[in-house]
Amino acid sequence: MASHHHHPESEIALRVKAIESLLVEKGIVDPATLDTIIETYEHKVGPHIGAQIVAKAWVDPDFKARLLDDGTGAIAELGLTGFSSEHMVVVENTPEVHNLIVCTLCSCYPWAILGLPPTWYKSFAYRSRVVIEPRKVLQEFGLEIPEHVEVRVWDSNADLRYLVLPERPAETAGMSEADLASLITRNAMIGTAKVPAPTSLNPPVAQEISP
Amino acid sequence: MNGPHDMGGMQGMGPIPIEENEPVFHSEWEAKVFAMSFATFINYFPVDETRHASERMPPGEYWSSSYYERWLYALELLITEHNLVTPAEIEARVIELAQSET
Amino acid sequence: MSIDPPNQCMTVESAQTLMNQGVSCQVEIDLSAPFQVGDRVKAKVMHPETYTRLPRYVRGKVGEVVKDHGVYVFPDTMGQRLSTKPQHVYSVRFSAQSLWGMDVSPNDALYIDLFDDHLEAV
Repeated sequence: MASHHHHPESEIALRVKAIESLLVEKGIVDPATLDTIIETYEHKVGPHIGAQIVAKAWVDPDFKARLLDDGTGAIAELGLTGFSSEHMVVVENTPEVHNLIVCTLCSCYPWAILGLPPTWYKSFAYRSRVVIEPRKVLQEFGLEIPEHVEVRVWDSNADLRYLVLPERPAETAGMSEADLASLITRNAMIGTAKVPAPTSLNPPVAQEISP
Repeated sequence: MNGPHDMGGMQGMGPIPIEENEPVFHSEWEAKVFAMSFATFINYFPVDETRHASERMPPGEYWSSSYYERWLYALELLITEHNLVTPAEIEARVIELAQSET
Repeated sequence: MSIDPPNQCMTVESAQTLMNQGVSCQVEIDLSAPFQVGDRVKAKVMHPETYTRLPRYVRGKVGEVVKDHGVYVFPDTMGQRLSTKPQHVYSVRFSAQSLWGMDVSPNDALYIDLFDDHLEAV
């Protein structure tokens, strides 16, 4: 087994090409299949899918109740399941509880709901630190969690995948499901951010009259 | 195994590397490693076997590798261990491609 | 879920199916659960040289079962192609202080999914 570390990018790229050409030649992988896989994860799945689920939960209390009770079943109702999201647990952020997701052993992540994970989620720093000092990690994301709020860290070490249902900003009263979905960020669904208030969407007058 | 992957609670890993607006893959080879791994999941190797393969990377190497370098290690380990491709074939093909590119 | 893979080239169609539908790790069998919600459980102290999804930081620590997720194939044996060894998986809550000592926030908690073979009664 050759060592890969500290090898320049060009050397790794060449090695990958060599392996690809051998696997294709031997009929182990099909180039069209590789293209389909890359296309799907680059362009089709992503946080917009999770945002749809969260927005629906914000406007539909019955759906939200089902989502929190049986994430897998509720997400299947929307036809939004997929690889590495077969068994879903949705955890709700509230004024008393802040949830965040990690996979300390590798980087398990709900691919079909959020797309492939960002580099920080896969980093050694996040994987090692978030279980022992979640509050310090959240500070690095600009989130200060008050001491009275319970921080719950979910280590997705088994086959269940997790999604955070973030708090709906108060300023969003009356917004449509689609507009709500556009506010919901990937990090808010992992628990390293809150959903920002729609300052750019709401004129000042609308903010004054909203509850 | 008590491998390099079991890092929950380790200290000294530095700040969280937050990258704004990052692409899904940072290079074509990352995309290819991902796709080749995905295409062999289930069909050739149970997913847990591929996870374990990356954990078997020597710790010093694991901790100095990127995410997709570890995937590449796992893929190469499994295709050679299961005799789908031999290490000699890989080395020969690397040399062949390097020569054709110059 | 079978232990031995089919050793077949993945077609475009089967890749699409896999991406869209995934593969369930749940097993539809009636298996009584050794642990119940509310039980205090201890993560076993063990150091297998083979694959395990029980991280070191919870081994030997006592937590509480908060949910029974049902019966799933056991990754620790699947990773070695030994057997599916279906068993219950539970969400287990550990207080942050039980894992890391008294310097961490008394309010915080760690939740992790553990299999029957990872746990013992307290």
